[in-house]
Amino acid sequence: MSTRILPEFDLLMPHTVNEAVKILAKHKRKAAVLAGGTDLLVVMKDGYRVDYVISLAEISGLNSLKYDSKQGLQLGAMVTIADVVKSKVVKEKYPALWTSASENGSPQTRTMGTVVGNILRASPSGDCCCAVLALGGSVILRGPKGTREVPIDKFWLDYRVTARKPDELALALKIPPMPHGTVTAFTKMTRTTLDLAKVNAAVRLDMSQKKCTQARIAVGAVAPTTIRLPKTEKLVSGKAITVQVLKEVQQSVSTEIKPINDVRSTAEYRRDVTGVLVRRVMEQALGGI
Amino acid sequence: MKTRSITLYVNGEKHTLDVPVNRTLLQVLREDLQMPDTKYGCGLGECGACTVLVDGEKAILACLALAATMDGKHITTVAGLEKDGKLHPVQQAFIDVAAIQCGYCTPGMVLKTVSLLSHNPRPTEGEIRKGLEGNICRCTGYAKIVKAVQKASKLMNQDL
Repeated sequence: MSTRILPEFDLLMPHTVNEAVKILAKHKRKAAVLAGGTDLLVVMKDGYRVDYVISLAEISGLNSLKYDSKQGLQLGAMVTIADVVKSKVVKEKYPALWTSASENGSPQTRTMGTVVGNILRASPSGDCCCAVLALGGSVILRGPKGTREVPIDKFWLDYRVTARKPDELALALKIPPMPHGTVTAFTKMTRTTLDLAKVNAAVRLDMSQKKCTQARIAVGAVAPTTIRLPKTEKLVSGKAITVQVLKEVQQSVSTEIKPINDVRSTAEYRRDVTGVLVRRVMEQALGGI
Repeated sequence: MKTRSITLYVNGEKHTLDVPVNRTLLQVLREDLQMPDTKYGCGLGECGACTVLVDGEKAILACLALAATMDGKHITTVAGLEKDGKLHPVQQAFIDVAAIQCGYCTPGMVLKTVSLLSHNPRPTEGEIRKGLEGNICRCTGYAKIVKAVQKASKLMNQDL
């Protein structure tokens, strides 16, 4: 397949969400939804075939980025990664998400690609995926029967398989407000910029009186989907995060993951490095130990 | 639909054309509009050679944009930077510091620089390198390109 040409398909350009959902309900798996195109067009140039492409470009209202202290953050389906990088409120309230967006792809793919697209692609190395799993949140889906909200912990079912049904359109991503004192951070291990993560890690630490009351640790590229590390999270809960605790965290991580060899890295490297990365991202979140 | 009638404004000129829906903006610019100044590098969004600007400041990749979804958009290609025979300061800076070897990355580099400077008129070296991280150059090692951006920034801020 040439990277210069796309295969043929039928393009549909609905003007409302309802129209888009009707089309999806009719064509289901024969249709692919096009938001930024940085993912879909690449796989199509690589041989992925679909009869219908549904472009969201002419539906208004999908590109709003909203924040308030009670509802938290809501990102519409067409909010680009660059929109997140430009957002002062995301940088201040959700540093993990902001960093993951800043390090995702290239400046140009960031102006085109969407955060919701990153979540729907369900790649285990998704940068925004990793940050969002650590922060917590949910995906808003609209189907012919109405709207539902799927928590991010239940959204990725398997490698590149999500809870979205073929007749549903992902409308938005919601991230709850962070309690006062909560710290978050994201980091990724790559060769260079533009590169997919060999491993990435994100953390959300809810803190009270210098102790961690709740930890959410997300790691990518070490399982078929981005995953949390419940055993390691328990190690941290209820404790002050000391150098000793971080050492235990680093050890624990290696026992909780089962990475594989692939084009980007080896299982051995990932096993060695992931624990270090988690420790570093926790240090980052806490602003240094 | 299999084809769509669209209007594209390229470098200020209005073009109305019927495009097959699977045609990328890159194909339309280079082949249908006979404007080869935008380059085809990888076709996958990894090299930045096909960078063009939307509304004069938003840098996108023409190889990953479906032309049919760009109806009504205002696109700037590198040839559109010249005004009445005078080169844009960024173009002039690239020439002045000799930041061009084979020239293939140059259109994308120049346009991305225009975009960068429109958002950040006096970038640090780190910000320049980060701003250009989506544009790959095989020839120069980037050193002269960074100098060109710094020179362009000086040229463009002279009147302020």
